[in-house]
Amino acid sequence: MITMNKVSKHYGAFQVLTDCSTQVHKGEVIVVCGPSGSGKSTLIKVVNGLEPFQSGEIIVNGVSVGDPKTNLSKLRSTVGMVFQNFELFPHMSIIDNLAIAQVKVLGRTQEVARDKGFKLLDRVGLRAQAEKYPGQLSGGQQQRVAIARALAMDPICMLFDEPTSALDPEMVNEVLDVMTELAREGMTMMCVTHEMGFAKRVASRVIFMDQGRIVEDDSKEAFFENPRSERAQQFLAKILHH
Amino acid sequence: MYDFDWSSIPNALPFLWDGMKISIQITATAVVVGILWGTLLALMRLSPIKPLSWFAAGYVNLFRAVPLVMVLLWFFLIVPHLLESIFGFPRGSDMRMGSAMAGFALFEAAYYSEIMRAGIQSVPKGQMAAASALGMNYGQSMRLIILPQAFRNMVPLLLTQGIILFQDTSLVYVSALADFFGAAYKVGDRDGRLVELLLFAGAVYFVICFTASRIVRRYQQKLKIA
Amino acid sequence: MGYNWNWGVFLQPAASGGDTYLGWMFHGFKTTIALSLSAWLIALAVGAVVGVLRTVPNKWLSGLATAYVEIFRNIPLLVQLFLWYFVMPELLPESLGNAFKQSNPFMQQFLSSMICLALFTSARVAEQVRSGINSLPRGQKNAALAMGFTLPQTYRYVLLPMAVRLIVPPLTSEFLNIFKNSAVCSTIGLLELAAQGRQLVDYTAQPYESFIAVTLAYLVINVVVMFSMRWLESRTRVPGYIGGK
Repeated sequence: MITMNKVSKHYGAFQVLTDCSTQVHKGEVIVVCGPSGSGKSTLIKVVNGLEPFQSGEIIVNGVSVGDPKTNLSKLRSTVGMVFQNFELFPHMSIIDNLAIAQVKVLGRTQEVARDKGFKLLDRVGLRAQAEKYPGQLSGGQQQRVAIARALAMDPICMLFDEPTSALDPEMVNEVLDVMTELAREGMTMMCVTHEMGFAKRVASRVIFMDQGRIVEDDSKEAFFENPRSERAQQFLAKILHH
Repeated sequence: MYDFDWSSIPNALPFLWDGMKISIQITATAVVVGILWGTLLALMRLSPIKPLSWFAAGYVNLFRAVPLVMVLLWFFLIVPHLLESIFGFPRGSDMRMGSAMAGFALFEAAYYSEIMRAGIQSVPKGQMAAASALGMNYGQSMRLIILPQAFRNMVPLLLTQGIILFQDTSLVYVSALADFFGAAYKVGDRDGRLVELLLFAGAVYFVICFTASRIVRRYQQKLKIA
Repeated sequence: MGYNWNWGVFLQPAASGGDTYLGWMFHGFKTTIALSLSAWLIALAVGAVVGVLRTVPNKWLSGLATAYVEIFRNIPLLVQLFLWYFVMPELLPESLGNAFKQSNPFMQQFLSSMICLALFTSARVAEQVRSGINSLPRGQKNAALAMGFTLPQTYRYVLLPMAVRLIVPPLTSEFLNIFKNSAVCSTIGLLELAAQGRQLVDYTAQPYESFIAVTLAYLVINVVVMFSMRWLESRTRVPGYIGGK
C-alpha cells in the first residue's frame, strides 16, 4: 500500500531524512518511534506530501507522491491524518468539521455527509457533542473527533502524528482505545507514538528512527525482546522504565 | 504621453532642504514632547486617583477620535485667536510654526500615551511587588523599575509612531507652512511642474520612511532575540 | 473674552442657495460618510487579496504583495492624494485623462479621494489579514491539506474564516481611521465635513461654533463605528475559542 524507497530530505545543510526505505502492506499497523528530532514526524508527513522531499520515491496505492504531475489533493483525500494538536477547525461545529471536506472535496451532498458524520461520532462516542464547537470539548474528545473526521473521508490508510502527546494523561486511553479498535478492524495505519503499550498490543511492525535514519524495522516481538542497535536498546530502557 | 521635465528640481534643492528642516523640526519636537506628555497621561490613566484617570482617558479618547486635520485647523485658526484675545498678542503675528508644533505634540501625545500604557502593562506585576519589597515608594518604583522596562519594550512602537508622525507633518500644508511637502508643492506650482515635483516628493518620503522602518524592524528582531 | 456665542447661526440661511448652514454641514457629513464607506469596501476587498498573497508559498506573488504594502505605507497620505488628483490624470492615456479632467469637479475630487483612501487603507488591511493568517496554528493549514483541500480551498474554508474573526478588533481601528483620514481630502477641495467646517468659519465668522459642531460630528461617527464593530465582534465570536497560539 505504501512503499518508500531511499527517501531523503534536507533543509539547507540539515539532513532530516536519510535513505529511508520501508513498505506498509494492507492491514498492517506500523508504529514509528524514536527520540525527538529523529525525523519520525517528517517520515509520515512525506507520505501524503505535506512535507516535500528531495530524493527517493514514495508510492501510495500506486501513485507516486513526489511526481509533480500527481494531484496531491486527490491523493491526500484518500489518506487520513491525525495531528498532535487535533487541528479541528475552531469556527465550525463538530458535525460541520466532519462534513466540510466530504462536501467540498468528495462532492457528497450535505445530507449524506452529515449522516456519515453522525454515524462516526456515534462510533467514537461523541454523538451528543455534534452541535458544539471544538473549543468546548476536552482534548481527548477533540482528538476522537479528529479521528472521526479523518475516517469520514473513507481513507485507505491512516497516519497518526503523535496523537496522544498533547493530551493530559487521563485522556490518553480514550484515544488509544479508538485507535486500537480501528487497528482490529483491519485499517492500515502508520502511527508515530511513544505509547509502547499500544505498540505491543496492536503493532504489526515497529520502525525505530534515529538521526533521520530508519535504524530498526522489525516485527514488534523482535523489536521489544531483542533490539539490535544500541540506540534502540537505550531508547527502550528509558521509555519503559518510568 | 506626458513629457517629463525634471530641470526645476536641482535649482530648488536648497529651498526643498529648508522645507525638510521644518518637517524634521516639527517631527522632533512632537516626538519628544509627545512621549513626555504621553507618558504622563499614561501614568494618570493608570493611577488610582479617579479624576486624573478620567481626565487622561477623556483627553486620549478625544484626540484619537478627531482627525489630525481638524486638530491642526483648530491650532491654526482658532487657538491663535484665543491667545490674541487672552494675552493680547499683536494681531496677525505668525504663530504657524509654534501652532504646528503644539498641535502635533498634543495630538501625538494621545497615541504615545496608549503605547506607553501598553508598555507599562507589559511589565510583569511581580516587578512592582519586588520594588516595593525593596522599600521603594510608588514614584521610585515607577521611575527606576517599571518605566525603563516599559520604554525599552516599546521602543520599536514609539519609533514606528515617529515615522508615521513624520509622514503626517506634511499636513501642515493646511496652514500653507512650507515644510518639505509644502515647498515641493510651491516649486511645482510656480514652474508648472507639479507632476515632477509631487513624484519627487513621494519618492523622497518613501526612501526616508522605508529605510527608517527597515532599521526599526531590524532593531525589533534584535530585541526579540535578546 | 468678548466673543459672541451664537448657536443659532446654524439655522440661518447660508450665503448661497436656499440652504441653512446646518444644511451645509449635513452635506459635508454625507460626503464624508459616502467617501469613507465606499473606500472602506474597496480597501477590504483589495486588502484581503494582498494580505492573502503575502502568505502564499510563492516568492513572486508574496514579493509583489510586500512591495505594494511598503509603497502605500511609506508615502504620506497627503502626498498620495495629490498624486492621484494632480499626477494620475496626466499620466493616463490622453483620452482617459481628458475625460477625467472634463468630468465635474466634485466627481474628480470624489474619485481621487476614494481611490486614494481605499488603496492607502488596503495596505493596512493587508497587514492585518496577513498577521491574522500567520497567527493561526500552522497545523490548521496542514490539517486542511491533509483532508484533500486544495490550497485555495484551504484559504477559503479554513484559514480565512478564522483569520477574519481574529482581525475584527484591529480592523475596527482601521475603519475609524478611514473616517478620520477622509478629512485630508479637504485639501483638494472636496467639500466633506472638515472642509465645510472651514467654510463655515469663513462665512459665519463664528469659528468656535463651527469647529465645535464639526468636531462633535466626528465624535459621533467614532462612537457609532465603535459600537457597531463591537456588535460585529460579539456576533462572530467562536464558542470556546481563546485566541491563537
